[in-house]
Amino acid sequence: MTATDATPAVSSTEPTVDERLAHRGPIQQLLLRPEIGALIGTTAVWVFFWSVADVFGTAAGTANYLDVAAILGIMAVAVSLLMIGGEFDLSAGSMTGATAMLVILLSKEAGVLGGAGLSLFLAVPLSLCFALMIGWFNGTIVEKTRLPSFIVTLGSFFMLIGAKLGFSKLFAGQVVVEGLDDAQGYGFWRNVFAASWVRNEHLWESRDVVWTVLLIAGVVLVVVGILETSYRRAPTKDATGLLVAGVGTAIALVGFIALLRTDGVGANTLFGAVTGIGVLMASLGYGRWRFPRLGKRGHLQLDRSSARLVGVGLAVIVVAVLLAAYLDASSTDNVGLLITVGFSRAMFVAGIGVAGILAVLVVAGRIPVWSPLLGILICAVPGIGYLMTRQAARSVIFVVLAVAGLVALLVASTRAAAWSAAAGLAVELLISVALIGLAFFIRSESTSEKFRSQLFTVILLIALALACSALMGYLFTIRTAPDDAADAFGRRAAIAGVFVVLLATAVKMLYTTAAENEVASGVIRYRVSILWFAIFAVFGTWLLLRAQFGNWIFAVGGNKEAARVQGVPAFRTKTTLFMMVSGAAWLSGMLIAFRLNSVQANVGDGEEFEYIIAAVVGGNLLTGGYGSAAGGAIGSLIMSMSTQGIPFAGWNTNWRFLFLGVILLLAVAGNTYVRNKAASSK
Amino acid sequence: MNDTSPSPGRPPTDTPLLEVRNLGKYFGNVIALHDVSTTVLAGHVTCVLGDNGAGKSSFIKTLSGVHPPDSGQLLIDGEEVRFASPRDALDTGIATVYQDLAVVPLMSVWRNFWLGDEPKKGFWPFRRIDIPKAKRIAKDELRKMGIDIRDTDQTVGTLSGGERQSVAIARAAYFGARVLILDEPTSALGVKQSAVVLRYIVEAARRDLGVIFITHNPLHAYPVGDRFLILNRGQSLGNFAKDEITQDELTKLMAGGAELHELQVEFAKTR
Repeated sequence: MTATDATPAVSSTEPTVDERLAHRGPIQQLLLRPEIGALIGTTAVWVFFWSVADVFGTAAGTANYLDVAAILGIMAVAVSLLMIGGEFDLSAGSMTGATAMLVILLSKEAGVLGGAGLSLFLAVPLSLCFALMIGWFNGTIVEKTRLPSFIVTLGSFFMLIGAKLGFSKLFAGQVVVEGLDDAQGYGFWRNVFAASWVRNEHLWESRDVVWTVLLIAGVVLVVVGILETSYRRAPTKDATGLLVAGVGTAIALVGFIALLRTDGVGANTLFGAVTGIGVLMASLGYGRWRFPRLGKRGHLQLDRSSARLVGVGLAVIVVAVLLAAYLDASSTDNVGLLITVGFSRAMFVAGIGVAGILAVLVVAGRIPVWSPLLGILICAVPGIGYLMTRQAARSVIFVVLAVAGLVALLVASTRAAAWSAAAGLAVELLISVALIGLAFFIRSESTSEKFRSQLFTVILLIALALACSALMGYLFTIRTAPDDAADAFGRRAAIAGVFVVLLATAVKMLYTTAAENEVASGVIRYRVSILWFAIFAVFGTWLLLRAQFGNWIFAVGGNKEAARVQGVPAFRTKTTLFMMVSGAAWLSGMLIAFRLNSVQANVGDGEEFEYIIAAVVGGNLLTGGYGSAAGGAIGSLIMSMSTQGIPFAGWNTNWRFLFLGVILLLAVAGNTYVRNKAASSK
Repeated sequence: MNDTSPSPGRPPTDTPLLEVRNLGKYFGNVIALHDVSTTVLAGHVTCVLGDNGAGKSSFIKTLSGVHPPDSGQLLIDGEEVRFASPRDALDTGIATVYQDLAVVPLMSVWRNFWLGDEPKKGFWPFRRIDIPKAKRIAKDELRKMGIDIRDTDQTVGTLSGGERQSVAIARAAYFGARVLILDEPTSALGVKQSAVVLRYIVEAARRDLGVIFITHNPLHAYPVGDRFLILNRGQSLGNFAKDEITQDELTKLMAGGAELHELQVEFAKTR
């Protein structure tokens, strides 16, 4: 093959290789981040509720859970920073209520109910000062007395509760203070803390076009990023590759536009196939242009263990399809073979368990990270939603077995890839064929429109992506040596892509079309708290990872004495952290106060544990020194999705605690496992 | 190792980098240090030997500014100094690498290297660590010490004990330390790791630092040392240049050295 003459040229241009350094691909590097477990968890939780609750995936549902996430998340980000710095703040929850109450009391008319009669332009900054003072007090006491922060802030927690109850009784004669909207300057501050964006009022007819274009651009950027960091750079660029890539892109675009503009199964299948071929051409052309050919591909023959796994995987998938087809959909009480509804519920739980274990396996790197397992998980979990469409047993059996079969195939594909590139290709193509089969099975059998169209499309896209990546892995050379320039370029492209995808989502969520407005039920309102949350999360992450202060946070949490010896002002660092938490509590308090205009004395009490749970779910180490601010934000997303998703699904809201507990345990176990794995990988 | 260390003895023209004259330190009526004197020359290694409780840590803490001395003098470049805090000592160029609290294990190598004095870029609200620069310099400095770190992003916790000590040593050297105090850097290490650290000590001395190497192991001290201060119960048992003492004598002088010898004789008889 031509590959044989390309090989020596490549190896001579290879930079000096540190033989101890196994090259870390982009996804492996991502897996070393503390928040990755939470990110996978968020995806799983989102997909789960998307499949069981109709409103969850829509703008209405998004506005709802983002709003809950915002107030929790602002606190979770600050608490994460404090936790990384090695401390806790149990007074953070009651602090939110205290500042909210204080601002109302300060702004009430003088003489009436003990109000100070201040303009809100004074009252709002004053309550911030109060909050910062409490934070400074917490930090100073903790540092000076060297008592555990758990105890110190427990003390301030009770003091705040007592003060809130006492003062509201004393001044208002009841445990609620109200009437913020009478205060001077209310209009201005309401815009700052409680403005909202009403989606129904923002029409944008070309929204879907913009959304589609942005989404495709973002995905392409991410894919380019992953490819550039995964493959070796070719010493000379091959222009034919560029040509093929261009033609492929054009074909894909034409096919896609035609797909959007036509109706009917026949036309859709045709143009879908055209798009798929275009994408395949584009990716292979890109590879030809940028990357050198792979030298040794080996034989198609499988080693024994991979062959056995392939057999098992295929057999299990066939059994899944046959069983699902055999078990009749209409009978929900008893579906035969001793399978009752109760049994299928148990299987349902088992299905979630399997999904969880798989997530852990992916994270642990037991299952190859570059494999599309995540995608399969995302497809598998909503199959559980089949259950909710009154086809209980068959859907559960189908999902569990299909996932098990795919996992067996995936493991087989790694083993086969280690055996030879050709064998790896064979098994990966097999997986994508199996995926396509499953997609069509779901399409023909599901009663839910959501599964018939959206899930079907997503599974097909995953199958296409898998086929492309399989062919590229077969044709081109994976990089084993570090290449800083290519890594930097790839990382930037991938990050830019993620932002473009987020932007696309925002466009879709923020704007409506006339057609959508007609069928819309009720007003969809995005509150400004979401913006505050985003700002706070970005700021916290930047501070932790880029600023000098972030380095100090890690140091005082990881080894305070070492930090002190190195000249890190530990006292100042910790006090600032406590003040950041109470500052965040002030922000939350303002968001609550200006939304409700009245505050009960018990607002926020006990919520400090939710902040801590969110921080821990987000991958922060309870003992300090390790974690991420973004993790806290993601953790709060998981929590709000679960608490809002359960009522959306029509279940009793009391289940949420069970759900939260399970998530907490899974998250901590998963995160610990990942961290140990990360620490031991040299 | 002997051939790599600088020649022993002090050239008469050289003012010592650091000189300790009749140093004394008392905690109430407990004598922690009494009448201890030694010198540290640039490019030379001064070893402080002693058994547990001999006063080694009081000695370090007095030199590094943690405790002010009660009697005697500290001279830097021939001029007397008094330290009010560890920061003072650090500013004068005396850096101490403590055995157990040298690094933060969960932080990456480059973050540890720069901890407390991170290189910055940008202007105030957006002032941030210059990460590429920080990584590059950390890698280069460590390489100069002979440590080839695979990836400065890896956490220090994944390094071996010897490498962790060396990160701390390289850091101190980079940040302008002139005198490096190493508190028992080899005591928790195996034979091979100790050899690695000893090599770094010699490397640091070759880069013209004065090194004070605290240890209770004469086998580690003798090959790298140019001068030996032996402490016992807070008192100096002697302050020798390398040509004034052999390794055996050094071992004997250490507390327990004589006892060990007796033990050897005794065992030889009973066998």
